[in-house]
This record gives sequence, C-alpha cells and structure tokens, in this order.
Amino acid sequence: MTSIAKTTMRRTRLTKPLASRFLIGIGLFLCVACSAPQIPVNIEFVATWAGQPLRCGETAVSLTDLRFFVSDIVLIDANGGEHPLLLTTDDRWQQDGIALVDLENGGGACLNGPPDIHAVLSGTAATDDVEGIRFTVGVPFELNHANPLLAVSPLNDAAMHWHWRSGYKFLRAGVATESDGFWIHLGSTGCKGTVQNITECHYPNRVKVELSEFSPDSDQVALDLSRLLKNVDLDDGVRSDCSSGLSESSCGAPFDALGLVFGQSASPSKTQSVFQVNH
Amino acid sequence: MKRYVWVAAAASAIVIALVMFSARSTSFEWRIPEEYPIPQVPADNPMSTAKVELGRWLFYDTRLSGNNTMSCSTCHLQELAFTDGQSRSTGSTGALHPRSSMSLINTAYASRLTWANPLLDRLEDQALTPLFGDNPVEMGMAGRDKEIGALLGSEPAYRKLSQAAFPDDEDPFSVLNAVRAIAAFVRSIVSFDSPYDRYLAGDLAALSPSAERGMELFFSERLECFHCHGGFNLTDSTTHANANIDRTGFHNTGLYNLNASGAYPEENTGLFDMTGEVRDMGRFKAPSLRNIAVTKPYMHDGSAATLEDVVDHYSRGGRLIESGNHVGDGRLSPFKSEFVNGFELSDTERADLIEFLSSLTDESALIDDRWSNPSEQ
Repeated sequence: MTSIAKTTMRRTRLTKPLASRFLIGIGLFLCVACSAPQIPVNIEFVATWAGQPLRCGETAVSLTDLRFFVSDIVLIDANGGEHPLLLTTDDRWQQDGIALVDLENGGGACLNGPPDIHAVLSGTAATDDVEGIRFTVGVPFELNHANPLLAVSPLNDAAMHWHWRSGYKFLRAGVATESDGFWIHLGSTGCKGTVQNITECHYPNRVKVELSEFSPDSDQVALDLSRLLKNVDLDDGVRSDCSSGLSESSCGAPFDALGLVFGQSASPSKTQSVFQVNH
Repeated sequence: MKRYVWVAAAASAIVIALVMFSARSTSFEWRIPEEYPIPQVPADNPMSTAKVELGRWLFYDTRLSGNNTMSCSTCHLQELAFTDGQSRSTGSTGALHPRSSMSLINTAYASRLTWANPLLDRLEDQALTPLFGDNPVEMGMAGRDKEIGALLGSEPAYRKLSQAAFPDDEDPFSVLNAVRAIAAFVRSIVSFDSPYDRYLAGDLAALSPSAERGMELFFSERLECFHCHGGFNLTDSTTHANANIDRTGFHNTGLYNLNASGAYPEENTGLFDMTGEVRDMGRFKAPSLRNIAVTKPYMHDGSAATLEDVVDHYSRGGRLIESGNHVGDGRLSPFKSEFVNGFELSDTERADLIEFLSSLTDESALIDDRWSNPSEQ
C-alpha cells in the first residue's frame, strides 16, 4: 500500500490530468478489492437472572429497569482479526456509532421506562466468520458531555441523561423481589470543568466487555443481573441503590462485578463478570 | 411628487415599526441600580421581555410535572423568596429530596448553582435536573420531554409566546426553548432594594441602630461571616458580566462529624460526592444571605430551624449532636473551614446580628408582579 502511494505521488508530480485520473481509478479499484464487502450482522441482547430469562414482573425476581448504551463494537474472527461493527443508523435506537439497548417494556415492575424495547442491534461488518465480540457499555467522552437537548436520538433521551453530573447514564438496571430491591445508574463521575465544558472525568466508568465463543447467528449476549448483584444483599428488606456517587458505599459491589474501580478503594485492571454468552 | 411623499412616509413607518418590534422582542430591562453589575447571560440565550414572559408562564405551569401536580413554583414560592419553607423538599411523586430548596432571587449572579456542584454554572443546565431527574423524582418528566414541546406548540397562548420569544426559530416549540425561557425568567429575578441596599445607597435611616451594630459584627474579623458571605450578593460564589475570574467557594462549616472522622451523612456529603476527594467532605456552597430571614429552615438539609440556631452554630464553631444517627461534634471536624472558629456573643450582640440579617430582605421582591403567577393577575 505504501509503495503504491509513493508511486502515485511520483507519477502525479510528473503531471498530466489524464494520467492522474487513470491512477485514481486504479487506486479506487485496489481499495475496493482490498476491503471485503460489508455483511449484515445482528447482535441480540437478553436479560437473565442466574441464566434464566428475566422480565418485568413475571418472575420471583423481577426486572425493574434495564437500558444501556453500547459503543465501539468489534467482532473478532477465528484468526483474531478485528472487524468494527458499523451500526445501521435508524434515527431512533442507533446513530453516530451508539446504540441504546432497552430490555424493559414498561410493564409489571418496570415503572420508569417506555413500552418499546430494542434488543437486537443491526449493523454490518467485513466478516461473517465471528468467534468473539468486544464492546463498551457507555457513551464515548466526545459525545458524552454535549448538550442533550441538541443531541440526536438515542442521545436525546432525557431519562438516560445525568443533567447535574453532565453526561449520560450508561446503564440503568434494577430488580425487585417481594420485599427488597436494588437499582444502579452508572455514569462518569469526578468530572472537571463545567457542564458544557467538561475537560476530563477521573472515574470514566465505561464497562469494557470482551466475550469469546460468540456467534451472532446462534448466540445472544446475556446481561445476568444475578451476577451484577452477586454481593448485594437482596434479603435484608432494605431497598437500596447506587447512582455512582462517590459517597455511596452501595456502589462497591456492583462496580466490582462490572470490572470498575469504585472511588479510591478497588483495584484496577479487573474484568467484568456480568455480560456472558448465551448459547 | 405627493405620491412619493406618501410612499416614503409608509416606508419609514414600516421601518420604525420593525425597529420597535425587534427592540421589543430582543431587549430586556433589568432595572438594576447603577452601582450593581449586570448578570452574565449565555450567548446562546439572550434575554428578552417575551422570553422572560414565556418562562414565567412555564415556571407556574403544573403541566411541567409528570402527574400535573407540581410546577417550579411548588418548591420556589415567591413570598418565601422562592424557597418552600421545608427542611427538605418533596417531589411530585412524594420522593423526599436530600436537600433544601434554594432561593432563586439573584441566582443570576451565582457562579455555581445548587448546594455543592462544581460543574453547574448555567441556569439552562440546572433546569434539566428538577424537570427530568429521577433520583429523587422532582417534576418527573423523564422520558416525557416531547410533551413539553407539544405543550408550546398546541396551546394558542404558548404558541404566540414561543413565536415572540424565539422569532428566528422556524420551529420554536421545543423543550430546548422551554428550558431557555425558564432559565431567562429565573435569571430576571434580580433584587437590590433591601433596607441594607438603601443604607448603602446613602439612606442611613434605612437600618435601625441595632441592625447597624449587627452589620459591624457581621463584617468583623471576630465573627468572620463576610469571608464566605461577602460581596454585593453576600456569597463568595458570585459572578457577573464584568467578572473575569471564576470565583466559587465551598466550605465545611462543621455541621456534622460522624464517627469523629469528619464524615457527613451519606446522602449529603456535599462536594465529596462529586469529586471523591477526601478534602471535599461536607463542603457546600455559601448561599447568598439576601432575604435570609424569610427562607427558614437553614443549611443544605434544613437542619437549623431558625436564624438563632444558625448564629449559635457558628458561635460555637461547629454543631454538637448528642443523640440520634448523627452523633458527633462538628467543632472538632478535621475538614472544617478555617473561618469557623467560634466567637463569644452577648445576648444584645446576638439580637443585633439577627436584626442585620433581617435587613437583607427586599420585601418588594416577595410581591413583585414581574415574577408572580401570571394566571392570577
């Protein structure tokens, strides 16, 4: 590729518009030939509790909320090759390389969400030989701190935005049992600057997920809330919550499960244990 | 020839009408005494009479809450200097807010908004939290933001006001514009006619001798009140159109000292909750003391019932809590401000200080028609 570029430069310098047009044509041909065609890919997400489907108010442990932003999706082929998943823009759930996954339907105990769900991400990638997937739960920094009232869907969803902290709620998740419950709102904290001019966030809190043995054709990405709340007491009769605040001791356990550092306590470079492959 | 005169006259009439119209839709009269500065106004939301009027109607409209029970004015009552008289405010669905409603008078000059948020410097951004916040739910409009735009577009009065407020917008009926209008209205609530202001302007009879003595105490190094509550807006978190330096003060005043570790109750750790830095435990913004006599109860969580309680707290140099969940001696907090050292006050001095604090109330602002409920006029 480098040598072709060099040759092109040299010839162009020799000039003649005709010759350069010819060379541009060759370049285009080579470019198309070197990149494989984009193949449609769908990625399905499901909510589970200990491996079983989790829904709004149909089970002993009920879902109360489950919405999250997914970005930077990369498919990994059998040779370890990486292929970005280009999300198809639908002007609603998917735009600007961001997708809002919504696994609650506003029914039962899901009192805060809309009836629509969005469980299947659609996009294209330059491979159909997928063996693994990597993605981020969160909104990239560049888009995270813009004015949500000027943003396009899905980033204009006020319920997913943290107006006073600046930035989006990357994840809203919650469950309820008969006498107990827990919810978490995850987003960047420890931000510096002012709402319209955030310079950095000390705790970005974006969740990195990497899953192997994953085939989009036959498998689903499961978010298992029993793993998220593994070390949260759901039998003490005290409904508790974590909204990522740095003084909320209740955030330690779920952050740990998401592979995140909470405040100054936990150790870095952990991996998340909440997202799994559902074969 | 005569015809030309008529054409010229008609043309100039049109020009004059246009100029007057544009002046009416873009200008705004602050009515601020000469000796005080004009507030900062964001470039993307200039003030206009029409916009402030739209904001006023929205401020008092309960349709801005999810269950139509609450408007901005529910927690910001004009007669209480736009506070609600509660220690902690209650949202439209009954959720108790961890903090006390703040006065809106002269928030146009606040360099940071709310009790302890170093990020929040624009009313346009702040307005989104009560509208859409869900922890706790305040007005409960999360996920219903389109209803606000629809309200502007569907009701004839709002249609007209929105078009006048945003004359350059093809489609002015948006939640963005609603928020801009509410912010402009709140920014317009500016008051400088307390007895203390009149005293400073030369009317020495405006303060009683007792208030005058209280003023001396307030601005003394012995009491040190003015270090955090100084300047024309009586807070160190003040900015204005000519201010070039960002000034914001957050202070731990020794209200709590849980486990003798300096900790504040978990739901109200102040700046620490935003930054996670230990030195920020219990640091809150010093609110403006304007109209302080009508905004009880006091402190971020309404935990001081009266001005006397507040003065006693500072006089002791920190609050002692001897029973309950919050036991601790705030005077011994490792995070306490260096200006909260305690002082001896005689009973007369205490009364004088409170007399001075009471002279900071602008009674006219509590009834001014420009800021009252337009549907009751």
